[in-house]
Amino acid sequence: MGLQMLVNAILLGGLYALMGIGFSLQWGISGIINLSYGAMVMLGSYISLEFFNFFHIDPFISMIMSGAILFVLGAVIYRGLLQPFLKGGIVFTLILTFAIRLIIENIILKVWSADYRTIRLTYAGSNFQFGDAYVPLIKFLSFIVAGIIIYLTYLFMMKTKTGKGIQAVALDKEGAQAVGIHVEKMYMINFALGTALAGLTGSLWASIYSFSPHLIGIIVGKVFIIAILGGLGNIWGAAAGGLLLGFAEVAGATFLGSQWQEAIGMVIMVIVLLWRPYGLMGKKFFG
Amino acid sequence: MEENNIILKIKSLSKYFGALKAVDDVSFEVKKGEIVGLIGPNGAGKTTVTNLVNGTYFKTTGKVFFKNSDVSDLKPYQIARMGLTRTYQVVKPLMGMTVEENVLVGSLFGRGNRSRDMNNATKRAREILKLVGLEKIKDSSVSGITLPDLKKMEFARVLAMEPEVVFLDEVMAGLNPTEVEEASVLVKKVRKEKDLTIVYIEHIMKAVMGISDRIVVLHHGKKIVEGTPQKVINDQAVIEAYLGKRYAKEVNNEG
Amino acid sequence: MLNNKKINIFLLIIALGVFIFLPRFLSGYWVRVITTIFMYAVIAQGMNLMSGYMGYLPFGNAMFFGIGAYATAIGMSKGLPFLLVVPLAAITAILFSILLGLPVLRLRGHYFAIATIGMSGAILSVVQNATEITGGAMGTTLPIIDKAPGVVYNYFYLAMLALMVISSLSLHFIIKSKFGFGIRSIKANEEAANSMGINTTYHKVIAWAISALFTSIAGALYAYWMSFIGPDEVFDVMIAVNTIVIMLIGGAGSILGPIIGAFIIELLAEVAWSAFLEYHLAVLGIIIIVIVIFVPKGMVGSISDFTKKRKLRAEKKVTI
Repeated sequence: MGLQMLVNAILLGGLYALMGIGFSLQWGISGIINLSYGAMVMLGSYISLEFFNFFHIDPFISMIMSGAILFVLGAVIYRGLLQPFLKGGIVFTLILTFAIRLIIENIILKVWSADYRTIRLTYAGSNFQFGDAYVPLIKFLSFIVAGIIIYLTYLFMMKTKTGKGIQAVALDKEGAQAVGIHVEKMYMINFALGTALAGLTGSLWASIYSFSPHLIGIIVGKVFIIAILGGLGNIWGAAAGGLLLGFAEVAGATFLGSQWQEAIGMVIMVIVLLWRPYGLMGKKFFG
Repeated sequence: MEENNIILKIKSLSKYFGALKAVDDVSFEVKKGEIVGLIGPNGAGKTTVTNLVNGTYFKTTGKVFFKNSDVSDLKPYQIARMGLTRTYQVVKPLMGMTVEENVLVGSLFGRGNRSRDMNNATKRAREILKLVGLEKIKDSSVSGITLPDLKKMEFARVLAMEPEVVFLDEVMAGLNPTEVEEASVLVKKVRKEKDLTIVYIEHIMKAVMGISDRIVVLHHGKKIVEGTPQKVINDQAVIEAYLGKRYAKEVNNEG
Repeated sequence: MLNNKKINIFLLIIALGVFIFLPRFLSGYWVRVITTIFMYAVIAQGMNLMSGYMGYLPFGNAMFFGIGAYATAIGMSKGLPFLLVVPLAAITAILFSILLGLPVLRLRGHYFAIATIGMSGAILSVVQNATEITGGAMGTTLPIIDKAPGVVYNYFYLAMLALMVISSLSLHFIIKSKFGFGIRSIKANEEAANSMGINTTYHKVIAWAISALFTSIAGALYAYWMSFIGPDEVFDVMIAVNTIVIMLIGGAGSILGPIIGAFIIELLAEVAWSAFLEYHLAVLGIIIIVIVIFVPKGMVGSISDFTKKRKLRAEKKVTI
């Protein structure tokens, strides 16, 4: 049983890791606590649903569309609605992103209803063995893809001009401005990257689990925890946070019963906040 | 006796930020009623010393004694209430409040106000405002006033706390020569009236020479010289610190 | 608001009188709606003290509403009378605020807001799972009052009105006091406040305790009024969101702001609900965005700006 639990935890954690990074980047670097993040993840799921139902395209492929659409959406929302109000402080952006969540949630409800939806893949039931444990193929594929995307994001931040620009702005806004970096553009691209990651996560989620607008609030709760565990704006920290949350949930469900699965995350978050407010990694920026 | 006259004693004060030694084993004493100039080039550690003394920073090593009590581990608000106060190099006005309200806060929470009496505190705040010459703009919001007035207000705020020792952190920064002269006159006048002890922090030599009884010079976090203005201005190490070794050599060769 | 203090007081007393006699002219439905408005105004005042005046946004403040509600339900299930249970519920909430506040109030800005959301969520989970004490996710009941519905509605209407008036007045006097200056200094510049002799931790903890006090009593009244409460309902994140929107539209940092905001928001919600049932979420979202864009200082802030500008223009005319 131990190995199976471990496998489940890692697979879940990998997905959570991808999910948390986008939110963490938005909060840590763009300075926005994006309460609409859960709705954006779900949008990614529904986009893949439509591509599957109408064009029979596998979510692992349509995720590219989800990512692209959500990237553009994120850029538009940041530029049009959030950037003008950054000076209002945390209350303004918090409530604005909540308003955006309401609007997206309402659209989802109207178009797809509150029913849980699934994408039935032909290879949904396959799994392979790893020692004593069964590894579901789709979860494994999602894990791999999530890992690749995380690594690509890291490369983007470290190796590309834009990525380095974002890092520079995060470390020292005035300094970056002084060397000619367009600060607001960096914040916007960073935010859009976050929503794109949300969309990608949604597609992966849709390939494994069922989804509905009910999950929106729950996802926001989870990404909060992941971001705080990992330290805001820290890619590998968020990845670690996602894995940790995956472990905590699987362990909690196994030992305490499934109703404690959500509560465990909350309790861990509060403990971490009190003990190490800057995250387990200790610093507010990329390690 | 010598002991009773020393109001502030700083002993082996250090602050390391990781490998950076912002303040390194600094010690000096301040006698009651003195004006001690604390000078040094930018980055010498002057503001860090202030933050250490008033409790804003944790000390890596060292102790601070105020009126013969050990205040090394006290919080900033406790130290302020005992009468050891400071102003800020980059002024920190209480935004969203008027000039009078800013000074009133000092009057309410500083050493003078044992009771919670708003009336007395307001009266005292108004007296201080008149003393520094701000009574005309007392109802203005702090967001609309000039830099010299902001600095006067910060000074007034500290005075309203009825302090015994004030660390004035680069009060002259940003002022033109006339304003600097005005400020010096005001500080001297207030010092006499309120029987203050002042630690006068500056990085411009000239501003501090005419006003200080003694000077302490910091450089790279260490104390390099201490003494009367005359002694300090002629000290080799000080000239090197401010003007560089080459210039110091030239000065030496010439004179 | 208007510049003459005596006129202000006179107007407020008239408004109070109107409110006291209003139920005679309204249907039971509207009496309940206005009671809810009073309740939200109280919760908003609690948040107003923390966020509007002190600059620390307790996003999860609704947890005290839930604690007040559940403490009342549990207390009354043991046979205690309502009037005894309410202070006990308030004390419970205050204890929570102090225990949770001491470690968390040293975290600045964002972290404090998020920490309170986490706490709220954690308490919700505990309440949902501690079925033996709290009735679990199914909720719990309170004793039903043995009187005609109309009479009951009026009782709670007046009780909530009284709570709103008391909490608003208290806030008014607190802000004017020395403690109030300490609170405002923390928002203005916390580091400078510390150096001026203000014990900021003490101020923050006490402010949160006061906030918990008002909010929990509102929760206690709500529980007895509804006779049935469930965890999802009294720990609902929407309570916090509504409260923030109320503060935004009414104007934070003023005493009347939350009251005005509560009226505007609840009446808007009534309209949106009945007219746009299927789209009420989106409409609420759009309303929020419109408010933030066009009325960022809230009604009270905008009106006071307007009267200030008018006064300045009048003065300029005189001097020229």
